[in-house]
Amino acid sequence: MSTPSSLESLIEALRCLPGIGPKSAQRMAYYLMQRDRSGAQRLADSLSLALGALRHCQRCNTFTEAEICDRCLSSKRDASLLCVVETPVDMNMMEQTHAYSGLYYVLMGRVSPLDGIGPRELGLDQLLARACDGLVQEVILATNFTNEGEVTAHYLSEMLKNHAIRVSRIARGVPVGGELEYVDSGTLAQAVRERRSLSE
Amino acid sequence: MTLRHKVDSQPAFVLHAYPHRETSLIVEVFSRDFGRVALLARGARRPRSVLRGLLLGFQPLELGWAGKGEVQTLMKAEWQGGQPLLAGKALLCGYYLNELLMYLLPREDPHERLFSVYAETLRRFAGGMLESDLRRFERALLQELGYGLTLESDARGVPLDANGYYAYEIERGFVSLQRPGSSALSVSGKTLLDLAREDFSDPSSLAEAKQLMRALIAHYTGGAGLKTRKIFMELQEL
Ligand SMILES: [Zn+2]
Repeated sequence: MSTPSSLESLIEALRCLPGIGPKSAQRMAYYLMQRDRSGAQRLADSLSLALGALRHCQRCNTFTEAEICDRCLSSKRDASLLCVVETPVDMNMMEQTHAYSGLYYVLMGRVSPLDGIGPRELGLDQLLARACDGLVQEVILATNFTNEGEVTAHYLSEMLKNHAIRVSRIARGVPVGGELEYVDSGTLAQAVRERRSLSE
Repeated sequence: MTLRHKVDSQPAFVLHAYPHRETSLIVEVFSRDFGRVALLARGARRPRSVLRGLLLGFQPLELGWAGKGEVQTLMKAEWQGGQPLLAGKALLCGYYLNELLMYLLPREDPHERLFSVYAETLRRFAGGMLESDLRRFERALLQELGYGLTLESDARGVPLDANGYYAYEIERGFVSLQRPGSSALSVSGKTLLDLAREDFSDPSSLAEAKQLMRALIAHYTGGAGLKTRKIFMELQEL
């Protein structure tokens, strides 16, 4: 018994999702076609709607349906601060802190030398143009504290240092409410190395 | 290697990691007694995984694994400490070392001396990267992997002359030249003798050694062009 070609192409299409191999793709396709055809219709509709409507904000690079997203247009945000994050999820985490009222730039990735992802692949020239709008005075680098996040931050600071913009990096250390007894050794070691003076 | 084995508390460094399925990682590690090994870290990308944040490159770890075949299963990982996180240019150079090891080190081929040179290089990097650290590592890599970088005598077995000029012929060795520059890859005898002694105090020796190493590495990596070099150059263009 051979698989109809439309079913086969559905299975093949589902495999583009991260972590989905041929077996899972087959299971998903059978499920959609057999058990949940209305769910399948919704999925198809919202996929084509999103594909048609979503684009990258011209200023912050996150997903939006307009040319420029609401946050970038808001007059309540401090336009002198620009916070650089790796993903839209990271931006949402920053927003939940209520500690930051500036604007953002979302890289949609990070520099990863061994995967061949460099400044060109990330389109860092677009970020440079954004940071040089004349209003931004400080760029806050909030990329991850992984080696890739660090190397990204290094690139950005090198790129921005010739443009008279202050560049800062978010601090790392022992978590709030953290007891030393339960903090992992790597974090504690780095917190000791990056200790700050309390006497002026 | 089809033998099933179980390895405990093995000193190792993560060279690179790839996502595998929804929540796992395939980790390429450089271990002291087993060389380069690929390990499956099950669930390492789950939010609460103990492995998350631990399988970080350039940090000395102790790993335990078991299984057979090309990809074995990581059972245990412990952070060893003593190595500050790399930053800036040293971090980029760390990636360069890892790319060289990924390219040139065959799987499951132990190189204990190279392992200790690698660890030592990372420790030096923590205090800021120096060109001489790179040359020392490249030299150890080529010698350990049996690329026969003989730095005492030329291809005919005649001791190198500090005042002479040589061309390097791949697989053959150094060939004496009548005058400098008559070969694309011409180096002075002094550079070679300095490299043999790991004496990098002479800037012109250091500069020549860099050109020599670049040419040799380009040859042994199949001329494909290293990703880290490309990205390094993009940084300079910014
Ligand atoms: Zn925006």
